[in-house]
Amino acid sequence: MMDNILSILIFLPLFTAVLLGLFRAELKYLKIGAMFSSVAILLLVTWTAYNFDPDAGMQFVKHAPWIQNSGMSYFVGLDYLSLLILLLISFLMPPLYIYMYHENRKGYWYNMMLLQTGVTGAILSLDLVLFYLFWEMMLLPIFIMIGKYGNGMHQYNAMKIILMTILGSMSMLFSIMYIGYIYFDTVGMWSFALTDLATLSFNAKTSIWLTAGFLLAFVIKIPLVGFHTWMAPAYGSSPTPAVVIMSAIMAKLGIYGIWRFGFDLFETTLVYYAPTIITLALIGLLYYAIRAITEDNLRKMFAYSSGSHLSLIALGLFLTNLYAWSGSLYFIATHAMASAGMFIMIGLTYKRFKTVQISALGGIASKAPKFTFFFSFFALCIAGLPGTGGFVAELLIIIGAFKANFWIGVLTATTMLSAMMYIFWMLQRTLFGKANNDTQYKDLSLREVIMLLPLAILLLATGIMPSLFTPIFEPQLTASLQEVLNIIGGLK
Amino acid sequence: MTPELFFLLASILFSIGLVGLVSRRNLFVLYMSIELMLSAVNLLLATFSKVLNDADGSVIALLMIAVIAAEAALFLAMIVHIYRSGRTIDSDKLNKLREGAQNA
Amino acid sequence: MLSLIVILPFLSAFLMALVYLENAQKKRYFFYTLVGVGTPLTVTVLSFILGSQVLAGSDTIYQTLLQWIHVDNFNIEIAFMADRLSIVMISFITFIGTLIHIYAAGYMKEDEGYGKFFAYFNLFMGSMLLLVLADNPIMMFIGWELVGLSSYLLIGYYHNESSNITAANKAFILNRVGDFGFIMGISLLFVSLEGSGFTFDSIKEHINMIDKETLSLIGILLFIGAMGKSAQIPLYVWLPDAMAGPTPVSALIHAATMVTAGVYMVARYSFIYIEIPDIGLFIATIGAVSALFAAVIASYQSDIKKILAYSTMSQLGYMFMAVGLGAYSSGIFHVFTHAFFKALLFMGAGAVIIALHHEQNIFKMGGLKNSMKLVYITMFIATLAISGIPPFAGFFSKDAILVIAFATEHYILWGMGALTAMLTAYYMFRLLFTVFLAQPKEAKNLQAVPASMTTPLVILAFGSATVGFLGANEAYGGSAWINTFLSLPDTKLDISHAKEYMLGGLNVLLGLLGMGFAYTLFAKEAEATKVDTLFKKLVVHKFYIDEIYAFFIVKPLLLLSRFIANVIDPRIFDGFINFNVWGYRRSALLFAKLQNGKVRYYALYILIGVSGMSYYLILKLGVI
Repeated sequence: MMDNILSILIFLPLFTAVLLGLFRAELKYLKIGAMFSSVAILLLVTWTAYNFDPDAGMQFVKHAPWIQNSGMSYFVGLDYLSLLILLLISFLMPPLYIYMYHENRKGYWYNMMLLQTGVTGAILSLDLVLFYLFWEMMLLPIFIMIGKYGNGMHQYNAMKIILMTILGSMSMLFSIMYIGYIYFDTVGMWSFALTDLATLSFNAKTSIWLTAGFLLAFVIKIPLVGFHTWMAPAYGSSPTPAVVIMSAIMAKLGIYGIWRFGFDLFETTLVYYAPTIITLALIGLLYYAIRAITEDNLRKMFAYSSGSHLSLIALGLFLTNLYAWSGSLYFIATHAMASAGMFIMIGLTYKRFKTVQISALGGIASKAPKFTFFFSFFALCIAGLPGTGGFVAELLIIIGAFKANFWIGVLTATTMLSAMMYIFWMLQRTLFGKANNDTQYKDLSLREVIMLLPLAILLLATGIMPSLFTPIFEPQLTASLQEVLNIIGGLK
Repeated sequence: MTPELFFLLASILFSIGLVGLVSRRNLFVLYMSIELMLSAVNLLLATFSKVLNDADGSVIALLMIAVIAAEAALFLAMIVHIYRSGRTIDSDKLNKLREGAQNA
Repeated sequence: MLSLIVILPFLSAFLMALVYLENAQKKRYFFYTLVGVGTPLTVTVLSFILGSQVLAGSDTIYQTLLQWIHVDNFNIEIAFMADRLSIVMISFITFIGTLIHIYAAGYMKEDEGYGKFFAYFNLFMGSMLLLVLADNPIMMFIGWELVGLSSYLLIGYYHNESSNITAANKAFILNRVGDFGFIMGISLLFVSLEGSGFTFDSIKEHINMIDKETLSLIGILLFIGAMGKSAQIPLYVWLPDAMAGPTPVSALIHAATMVTAGVYMVARYSFIYIEIPDIGLFIATIGAVSALFAAVIASYQSDIKKILAYSTMSQLGYMFMAVGLGAYSSGIFHVFTHAFFKALLFMGAGAVIIALHHEQNIFKMGGLKNSMKLVYITMFIATLAISGIPPFAGFFSKDAILVIAFATEHYILWGMGALTAMLTAYYMFRLLFTVFLAQPKEAKNLQAVPASMTTPLVILAFGSATVGFLGANEAYGGSAWINTFLSLPDTKLDISHAKEYMLGGLNVLLGLLGMGFAYTLFAKEAEATKVDTLFKKLVVHKFYIDEIYAFFIVKPLLLLSRFIANVIDPRIFDGFINFNVWGYRRSALLFAKLQNGKVRYYALYILIGVSGMSYYLILKLGVI
């Protein structure tokens, strides 16, 4: 059981979806099935986390042959980074299903289950081709969710996100294939397992192109400035469950990809790309924030907010010191929860007012105090208020930045200014003042509060007592960083 | 009567046939060009057969004559049909088997 | 017990928030008052107990709660430190805070969001106490920001009026701009000292590890935070607008406590600032300029709360003058005395406002001397105190500051301070006389003011009259008790008693002069300033600073945002992608032309293909 736990985690939703689909299950059973699979996974993940040893390396590994001759194997494993994102997705799915409680379109349920499989698979794979498979598998449900169930120019936007993401994936595929070929050339047999490929060393010129191939995929996903035009339209047209997963999880996969594959395969070349990425990240930090100021659509505004904070995380990743790495890791967790909460609130707004345009909202505070509280709470978490996890993460990254270089530190500190630029005016127009519409609406129901409460509590806990959480990933993180520094240090 | 002269003749015939195939629109001319090319190939086969003292080439050439005759029948029958339905024997006007929509 | 002082207010805020959210409509007056006022009262008692311990001679009290974070060398604990500076701070924060809570119970009685108000108010108390009791810069920063949050929540309390929220936004944003500098200072400090612990004590020990240049940079960056929090030039514009909040809020946060956090910060980091006297001079200059600037503006304002707001900014300027010139104890002493009389003034103003049914324009008031005797007398005492008339508190603290400026030979700063002193007396008495003495325009019927609002006034009046003696210099027979108690690294002064008496006398003279001017102009018939000269126009519009900020900062940001949205994003980035799409489309059309359905073209393609292949195979690869 222990041995196969990861496979269960990956395939349970898929299995549930296929089973229910084959039997043309009624909506009622579909909902129950989906809820059951997500809760089961949550429990299993908690159990896995409990048995996770912070000091050991990769755990729960399963390495089985898949396509023997071509070296593609079924290779999954869990380490601190995968565990973090695994916890996040497993934790976010049940509240999302509670949110979707009244959703009668079967497509939503099937797609979310497929999505969970795709994401879980992507973060647990250690074989490059397997990773690619799940990476693409993540895109399909999003495509359908936006293309079929979205609003606005949803078909155009679905195509845009698909094509741009696939552009990156294609280049990654080329790199993967070429790396496999190099391995075959050097060693004599095919293998795409990460542990095998990490032993390769490439000559400088090839390495630069190969890294570019990989980086392109991840940089589009994050997204860094210049590669971002798919983001706002896609978030704007997307239905809430999809946008929550997109912002909270899938964006982090770009970071995950660089962390897992970039650092293992290409440490030396990443040094070459670091200045570019750091510059793009710093620009992105402010670019997205300034763009968000005059955005009227709430979803798009928080799409830009996402982009801004993810640029910060990417920045932290490339500043190789422990503060910045811890900060990035911490931020991955807290931002996922804060933005999930925020997008759920925006979804609740849509359900009540049938709009997410700020100019059509207002005056909520006097009629719905609970709603106001949660809305502002999540918004302020995103703005990095002390007492919430976001602040701890930003603080760590700022310190890490100052340690690396004074001016990078100064520019990184602008993150204090970035979120507040758009959040406060937005809160004013959305929650306070006079209402711009006369819809009848109710405050949050008990079900909705229960859905949001765990997120809020965790955000407060990560802010007030970070020492509860940091020891879980500290040892491995330090070891990992040490490895990277050794290799890079050898260059300088 | 060196073989080279035969090769030359065959090449010239083939080229004439090829050019005709590519540049003429009249279906009959198209057909005649094809025949010309086939004949040139026949000639080549026969010549090689003689040069290499191998009977295979002549056998193929004979078989080809039969096939060409059959083909003639089919081709001409089709031209008659085409004329009857479309009132044209201009091959450029017979372009329905292409991508729909766009101007081309 | 020390940690309880900080934790109790947070817990009570949390509790009240939960109860309020559970049912916002229910008026649980008794419950909210009990918890909301009881908690500060308890905390005051605890502070006094601790204070008496420290007074009796025990050393600094420490208490560590738990580890907050430990990453590499960044090891921060949730820990508290009650040294003498903190004890002085919490003594008046809790005491005056409790008085204002009692006052608020009366002021906000009829308000719907009573529970919400006290939840916010207690959140503020907890944050402020965290700020002054923290034993490391990070915890102080958390308190610092949370105080800003409470300020935002309380200024925007009347949230149905959009302009109040704008004021709240302004406060938070400008605070954050200051915090931007502040966090850079803290980070730079940490990175320079890495490895040797990060509590105030350990930083003090190792301060010599940092070179002067970096130290100056840190000093400036930290002060930027103070500029925002304590409303000095140029980050002050939020303070007048913050008067949109309920009056108890203005009294507590924007007079007595939060705004003094910047001064506390400089005193707390005194071990840095004594090493960089040039930066100190910069701080003192900003303080002096802000003081004078605010005093000028206050002289022409008509809204009672705005006058008091600018007055606060002005007095804060004095405090920064003191700490900038190295007289940390005098700065803190002025914080202490100022809390008493400024809170009193605000609360008195609140009483007047309530009595006149929410009228805030002083020129619509008048002649309240007899109908609001208690308020009149207490406010008179406070006005005397702020104008620096002995034996009231303000005299001793203000005098100390001006003496220091003179003694350290910064005559320009001294001159500005003296001029400000006269203006202070002028505009404060202008306020007093216009509200209480001048002939009213029309007869008024007054709303009754509850005892919960008037009793604190009396207590504070008593305080304003007496606390001055705590810090009186030897020249006046005191023993400068508070200076010795605080034991901060003050600069030593060398000035004769004669000079001190002269300066003191001059201050009193200036104060009386200001009072005299105000009396002649306003005591009989109070007229609002006629805006006839250019100078008057400038001052009445507060030198158009708000408009300048809007034009040079807010507008460009909005323009930039729209520019990105309409030009950069769609034309450049999307444009690049659309260009690719266009390219693909065009080539697709081109290739489509090849598929024209005509047989002879296809024959041609076959010809070309086969020829090419044969050429390659036969001639290049040698396949026969």
